Amino acid sequence: MESSTEEKVVAVILVGGPTKGTRFRPLSLNIPKPLFPIAGQPMVHHPISACKRIPNLAQVYLVGFYEEREFALYVSAISNELKVPVRYLREDKPHGSAGGLYHFRNLIMEDNPSHIFLLNCDVCCSFPLPEMLEAHRKYGGIGTLLVIKVSPESASQFGELVADPVTNELLHYTEKPETFVSDRINCGVYVFTPEIFTAIRDVSSQRNDTATLRRVSSYEALQPATRIPADFVRLDQDILSPLAGKKQLYTYETMDFWEQIKSPGMSLRCSELYLSQFRLTSPHILASGDGTKSAIVIGDVYIHPSAKVHPTAKIGPNVSISANARVGPGVRLISCIILDDVEIMENAVVTNAIVGWKSSIGRWSRVQAEGVYNSKLGVTILGDSVAVEDEVVVTSSIVLPNKTLNVSVQDEIIL
Amino acid sequence: MKALILVGGFGTRLRPLTLSFPKPLVDFANKPMILHQIEALKAVGVDEVVLAINYQPEVMLNFLKDFEAKLEIKITCSQETEPMGTAGPLALARDKLIDGSGEPFFVLNSDVISEYPLREMIEFHKAHGGEASIMVTKVDEPSKYGVVVMEETTGKVEKFVEKPKLYVGNKINAGIYLLNPSVLDKIELRPTSIEKETFPKIAAAQGLYAMVLPGFWMDIGQPKDYITGLRLYLDSLRKKSPAKLTTGAHIVGNVLVDETAKIGEGCLIGPDVAIGPGCVVESGVRLSRCTVMRGARIKKHACVSSSIIGWHSTVGQWARIENMTILGEDVHVGDEIYTNGGVVLPHKEIKSNILKPEIVM
Repeated sequence: MESSTEEKVVAVILVGGPTKGTRFRPLSLNIPKPLFPIAGQPMVHHPISACKRIPNLAQVYLVGFYEEREFALYVSAISNELKVPVRYLREDKPHGSAGGLYHFRNLIMEDNPSHIFLLNCDVCCSFPLPEMLEAHRKYGGIGTLLVIKVSPESASQFGELVADPVTNELLHYTEKPETFVSDRINCGVYVFTPEIFTAIRDVSSQRNDTATLRRVSSYEALQPATRIPADFVRLDQDILSPLAGKKQLYTYETMDFWEQIKSPGMSLRCSELYLSQFRLTSPHILASGDGTKSAIVIGDVYIHPSAKVHPTAKIGPNVSISANARVGPGVRLISCIILDDVEIMENAVVTNAIVGWKSSIGRWSRVQAEGVYNSKLGVTILGDSVAVEDEVVVTSSIVLPNKTLNVSVQDEIIL
Repeated sequence: MKALILVGGFGTRLRPLTLSFPKPLVDFANKPMILHQIEALKAVGVDEVVLAINYQPEVMLNFLKDFEAKLEIKITCSQETEPMGTAGPLALARDKLIDGSGEPFFVLNSDVISEYPLREMIEFHKAHGGEASIMVTKVDEPSKYGVVVMEETTGKVEKFVEKPKLYVGNKINAGIYLLNPSVLDKIELRPTSIEKETFPKIAAAQGLYAMVLPGFWMDIGQPKDYITGLRLYLDSLRKKSPAKLTTGAHIVGNVLVDETAKIGEGCLIGPDVAIGPGCVVESGVRLSRCTVMRGARIKKHACVSSSIIGWHSTVGQWARIENMTILGEDVHVGDEIYTNGGVVLPHKEIKSNILKPEIVM
C-alpha cells in the first residue's frame, strides 16, 4: 500500500517536569533531565533525531511541565541543526501520559497528520520508527506499541503485555503486576491514528462510572481527591488496558537494545549503548587515537571537538567527554561521562563515574565505583563544580554540587 | 552608620534546606536568618547594610526589596565574582562602607545567632579608642576553633591561635566586629583572611580589643547547631520579651508560634519549638525541640522531636519523626511512617520507614 504524499506524521515526545524524576538527582538538580547529555548529546536529542527518519515528518512537539525558558535555547538550536521543526509545549499542570497528548490535540492536528508518534524521552533504544509505522499501517488499528522481550524477573518493573503471535494484536496489558503475566513489556514508544483522541475523551467521560480495583496506600486513601481529576489520563492503565483484546491495538517487537534512563547510573549504561550504536551508524562521530598524535582510544569513545585530551592519556571504553573539558597527561578514563568544562589533572583515574560540569579532579586522584548501573551508589556521581583534591579517592559515592573533597570517601552521599 | 554582613557561598552544610533558598533566607525562629541581624543593626542606628554574597544574588535581591521597605533601612549587595575569603569582601565594599563621617562600621558573619549587644559594643569601642573591636565568646572546647588570646582586664588582643593543641584560652572569635574606616586601608582587594592577615596586623599595633559576648552564641550553619541555637534563642527571648512566646495548657517550656499558624486540640507543644506562618498542627500532635517551617502541616496524632520540617511539607497521621530528621521543602511523610535521622531532599514522598540516619534524594 503506498503512502500518499499528503499523509503527514507528527511526533510527540513526553519530557516530564521538575517534580517528577527525583530519581535522577543529583544530576537533575541543575539541569532538566531531558537535557542531560548521553553519548555526547542531550537525552532528548536521541528520540528527536530518530524521528527525522520518519517519512513526511511535519513537526516534533516536546510536551512537559518544565518552564518554557529551560527548553527555549535547546529547541531553536536543535530545529536548526536537524532541520526539523521542534517546539516545546508546556502543560500548565500534569495531565498524565495520555492526558498531555489530548490537551494539545488541536495543535497536533493542525497539520492534519495521518499518524502521531508518542515517545517517552527517557527511553533508550534504536527507535525503529519507520518500521513501526509500516507495520501499523498493515495492522489497521488505532495504535501500535513498541514491545521487547525481557527476563521474567525484571518484567514486573514495567507494563507487561500479551500479544497474539500471529496477528500481533495486543490481547492483554497490565502495569507493574505483582505476579508474572508475560516477559514482553511496553517500551514506551507508540504510533497512533487520530482516533486515539476519541478514545482518550471517552475515558475521561467514563471515569466516574468505572470502579477500578487498585491497590492504594493508606496515604493515598486519605487524600481528599482519590478520584483522579477527569483530565488526568494515563496511557497505560486508562487506554491500553481497557482497549486490549478489542482489535484496536497492536504490537511491534524490537530485537535491539532497550533501557529506561531513570537513575544517574543508567545514563552511563545508555551512553554505552548509544556509543556502540554510533559505531554502526555514524562511526565518524567516535574518537580514535593510538598515543602518537592523540590519546590512545579503546572501544567506543566520544570526544567533543573543543575538548583537549593530552596524548599520553588513555581513554575508553565507553567514555564520553563534553565541550571544553581538559584531560591532562597520564590520565586514565574508563566507563565514564565527563561533562563540560571539567578539568582532570595529571595521572588521575576515573572509572564508572559521572563528573559534573566545571568539576576538577586532582593529580593522582581516583574517582571510582563498581559500575552496577541500577544500584544507588553503583556509579559515582559528582555534581557541578565539585573539586576532588590531589591524591584523594572517591569510591561509590554521590557528591552534591559545589563541594570540595580533601579527604577520601567511600559509600557516602555528601550534601 | 554602615554594616557589612558576610553571607558568602552555597550553604552546603545546611542542605537540604539551602537547596530551596539561599542560606540567609532560611528561616530561624520564624524569621529569615538574615533578618535577625538586620533588625539588630537597625536598632542601633545603622542606616545601610551591605550584603557580601557570591551566590544567587537575584533571589536575595527580591527579598531584600521587601525588607528595605518594611524596615526603612537601605540594603545593598556586594557581589564577589570569586571567593574573597573573610576580609576581601570588606575591600570590595569599601566605597559603600566609607561615608566620610569617620564612624566605625559593623561586620557580621551571617551564620551566627546571638543577642547582638551592639550598643554595648559601640560603647566599648569608644572607650578603648583602638582601631578595631571584636566580640569573643567562651566555649567548652576551644581547640575546635580559632582562639583569641587577650588581656583579661582591658580586652586588648595579643594574638590569634588557630585550633591550638595546648590550652591558650577559651575565648573564640564570635564573628561580630566593629571597625574604624582606617582598617580598610589595611585590606588588599584579593582573597584574604581577616583572622590570619588583617587582625594580627592590627593586634601587633596594639589596636585590637575584644569584648566578651554576653548571652548566647551559636553558629547555626548546620542542622544540629540550628536546633541547639533555637533552644538558646528561645531561652533568651523568655528573658527579654516573654510576651512573644506562646502560653497555654498545651504548651511546655519555650514555644514560638506565628499568629497565622493553627494548633488543634489535645496537642502538647514544646519545649523549644518554633511554628512558622500558615502552619497547621492537627489535633493530638506532640512536638518537641523542632522547627516547623512556613506552610507545613502536621497531621493528627503525629510526634516530631529534634527535627526540622521544611516549608510546605506534611507529616502524616501517627508518623514519628525524630533524631535530627531534616525534611526539605515540599516533602510528604506518609501516615504511620517512622523516620530516624532521615535527611530528605525537596519534593519527595516518604512511603517507607527510615530506620537509621540516611539521605533520601
